[in-house]
Amino acid sequence: MDVAEFRASVQEWLAENDLTPGPDHSLDGQVAQLARVRRALYDAGWMRYGWPAEVGGLGGPAVLRAVLGEEVATRDLAEPGIYSMIEVLAPTMISYARPELAAEMVPRLLSGREQWCQGFSEPGSGSDLASLSTRATPRPDGSWTVSGQKVWTSLAQYAQRCVLLTRTAPGHDGITAFFVDMDTPGITVRPLRTMHGVDEFAEVFFDDVVVPADRMLGNPGDGWRLAMDLLPHERSTCFWHRIAYLFARLDQLIDETRVPDDAALGSAYLALHTARCRSHVTQRRLAEGARLGPETSVDKVLLATAEQQLFDTARDLLPGVLELTDSPWRPEYLYSRAATIYGGTAEIQRNIIARRLLDLGKE
Amino acid sequence: MAEVMDAEERELLAEALRRTMTTTAHGRDLDKALVELGWPDLLAEAPDVAVPLVFELLGETGAHAPVLNDVLLQAAGNLLGGTLPLPYAGGSLVVWERDGQGEANTLDADLPLRAVSSGDIPEGAALAAGRRALGWWLTGTGRAMLALARSHALDRAQFGRPIASFQAVRHRLAETLVALEGAEAVLLAAEDDLGSLLAKAAAGQAALTAARHCQQVLGGIGFTAEHDLHRHVRRVLVLDGLLGSARELTREAGALLRERGSAPRLVHL
Repeated sequence: MDVAEFRASVQEWLAENDLTPGPDHSLDGQVAQLARVRRALYDAGWMRYGWPAEVGGLGGPAVLRAVLGEEVATRDLAEPGIYSMIEVLAPTMISYARPELAAEMVPRLLSGREQWCQGFSEPGSGSDLASLSTRATPRPDGSWTVSGQKVWTSLAQYAQRCVLLTRTAPGHDGITAFFVDMDTPGITVRPLRTMHGVDEFAEVFFDDVVVPADRMLGNPGDGWRLAMDLLPHERSTCFWHRIAYLFARLDQLIDETRVPDDAALGSAYLALHTARCRSHVTQRRLAEGARLGPETSVDKVLLATAEQQLFDTARDLLPGVLELTDSPWRPEYLYSRAATIYGGTAEIQRNIIARRLLDLGKE
Repeated sequence: MAEVMDAEERELLAEALRRTMTTTAHGRDLDKALVELGWPDLLAEAPDVAVPLVFELLGETGAHAPVLNDVLLQAAGNLLGGTLPLPYAGGSLVVWERDGQGEANTLDADLPLRAVSSGDIPEGAALAAGRRALGWWLTGTGRAMLALARSHALDRAQFGRPIASFQAVRHRLAETLVALEGAEAVLLAAEDDLGSLLAKAAAGQAALTAARHCQQVLGGIGFTAEHDLHRHVRRVLVLDGLLGSARELTREAGALLRERGSAPRLVHL
């Protein structure tokens, strides 16, 4: 199925099948809505396009997933951040899990029957992810014991599984990934209160958690490569979804504002249009089989900058709204403050650009 | 455009153009040399190849020639080789002379620009084509400034190490690259009037960002007349105003959004 045909069919289907969220805007409500949207799209087949048949997909190019996500984000059917998590979790399983495990598990994620989370960051390992210290030690029967703490783990309190990075030896080559059942004894999840009032992130504690040998993703020491392999997915499909969501917000701002500041509106639009054009170039390169690398740090900086500018503009052009009323603009504005922090801070991106793209040598 | 030239032919042409631009006197002589290299045919047959190539190279090499006229004339279906009034920021009009001298008091005195009081103002496809061409010129100039600042940062040592090793310097250069690459993506996507308006705005903004950061990284040497930076800075300041400044065009885009009631998505997967 080609892209235009797929888009038209999805649009037609969404026009006939109303998946508009209900009145419950709590995190519980958002997660339930996400599961509802995934299930409906999976049952209708749309969610299966762009994924290989081995994991329950219907095949076709990955760009179909970007198109589907754009249609979902444009209609505000699901919160785009948690909708897009699938784009980093499923490819990891396809690339690194045993084929039988991927075939068994990925359809549960695609169909909305399960939520999964990603245990990467730790209290002592944020920007310096490679310093992580959650330890996995081998047991005589071949299984592993995991102990340590993760933080900023999205949806951990709802997740049945976790893609977990652990330390099995020193250095970048000593990081090993596991696919862990979240109901394993010894795992404690504590949601974090954040400034935007949505408890989307959690701390996850691992106390002598036993993980079977066949739940290792790849081989011992493959964890760092697994983490790096996520970036092309995050920075193509996820970014396209997020840009679609931001365009929907800009439309809403144009509709709601009564402040006649064309310069501010035009400037926010230009930044967003620039991020979209850049992301379009990246999508095209990916479709042509290019291997994405450090140049996607440019996409990341453009997107994070455009996102913060858009919500700054919303605050300027809707004076008093997010300060004095219980409007969705408030949590969305506050959440946008994190855009230059999550997924690699703006500073880390500039370090990568300086070192890898401008070849400025070491700091 | 692929059927007109393959990548290798394009590279050869780029080399020939670059050589010509760096060895020919700017202005009238370069105008003639470009005609000899086949610029009018290339513009007629493959403007999507010709315009980015020639104008980005004008920026990179610091050369100039009155070929912006040709881009507008071609898009309007007129004969090449003449001039036409070009809107300038603030509501004025200028002519880019092909033979004569410009006004001595232009900030970039190398450019033969002359103020005129009236004339038929280009619009539609011609204006859009001119904006795209200037966009490539501006990003090319930005690339030239980035190259100067990058090599200075690697060569210049202070406190016993190259200043390129300081994060504050590195991040300015990284910001410059982000701005330029973003603008180039907007230029690549520009087709219609609005896309071309946005491309000129993005390129003007990126080139001004490059000028600011590169000037700072170059420190004292970049402020001297003997260093080339000031030529590029002057060119950016003048070209940004031609056919509408980044500031004016951004405001125009905002007004259009308000009029339409929504934000056009100009690129699609």
